[in-house]
Amino acid sequence: MSSWSDELIIGATGMELRRASEWLDAACRGRAAPREPVERLLLCLNEALTNVMVHGGETALSAPIRLLLEFRFDPGGGEVGVTVSDAGLAFNPLSAPRKALPKTLDEALPGGLGLVMMRGLSDWLDYRHEAGRNHLTFGARWKLP
Amino acid sequence: MSISHNDAGQDLRTIVISGRLDVMGTDTVATRLMELTAAPKKGVVVDLSPLKFLASVGIRALITSAKAVQQRGAKMVLVVRGNSTVMMSLEATGVNELIPVFDNVADAERAAVG
Repeated sequence: MSSWSDELIIGATGMELRRASEWLDAACRGRAAPREPVERLLLCLNEALTNVMVHGGETALSAPIRLLLEFRFDPGGGEVGVTVSDAGLAFNPLSAPRKALPKTLDEALPGGLGLVMMRGLSDWLDYRHEAGRNHLTFGARWKLP
Repeated sequence: MSISHNDAGQDLRTIVISGRLDVMGTDTVATRLMELTAAPKKGVVVDLSPLKFLASVGIRALITSAKAVQQRGAKMVLVVRGNSTVMMSLEATGVNELIPVFDNVADAERAAVG
């Protein structure tokens, strides 16, 4: 078993969101993580940061967002976890009710898909609110063939 | 980020979107996508095969356009590469079950006007 971690501090803007994606992608490429779990993580990171920017309120927009990336490898595979820490309004996505997916276009509502994506694409989701900050962790794992 | 279109006669419009449909990318093209899909065509193909990334904000724009097209009695379909990140986004949200998805433009165009 081996591990590795890295941190990035970003602001709550669209440009910074792209910088965070590039950071995560580069770190995963550098450690030869398989593409499929990495692409799931990139989508989750995008949704998590978009939620902070859109729903986090003024403090979320003015305070730095801290990203923690944690790799764990063992001979049979590995896992990557990303923790997004922000000072915005407290919101526990795990407590939000799960909605049934619409069956027709008429039933489809344009909003609320970010959380659906995060739940569907991550292998685990954790949340805690501590010292005035949201800490949302999501991750993906893989097995080597 | 770019959006372009091509009309094939009176019935069909094909729209091509490339780049990243995240917050910034969607801000850039959402209004134009609505304008292009509002044309009185029988079928609209939105070709996402050059698209590299599709976030929920981009899916929202696609749903809004598809509903508007459907409400005027026309049909909107998507072109998406199989096993791509874009397909992953559509499958995770179930939107591939709501808006028909094809892996090539020819099949999509036939379905849009059929």
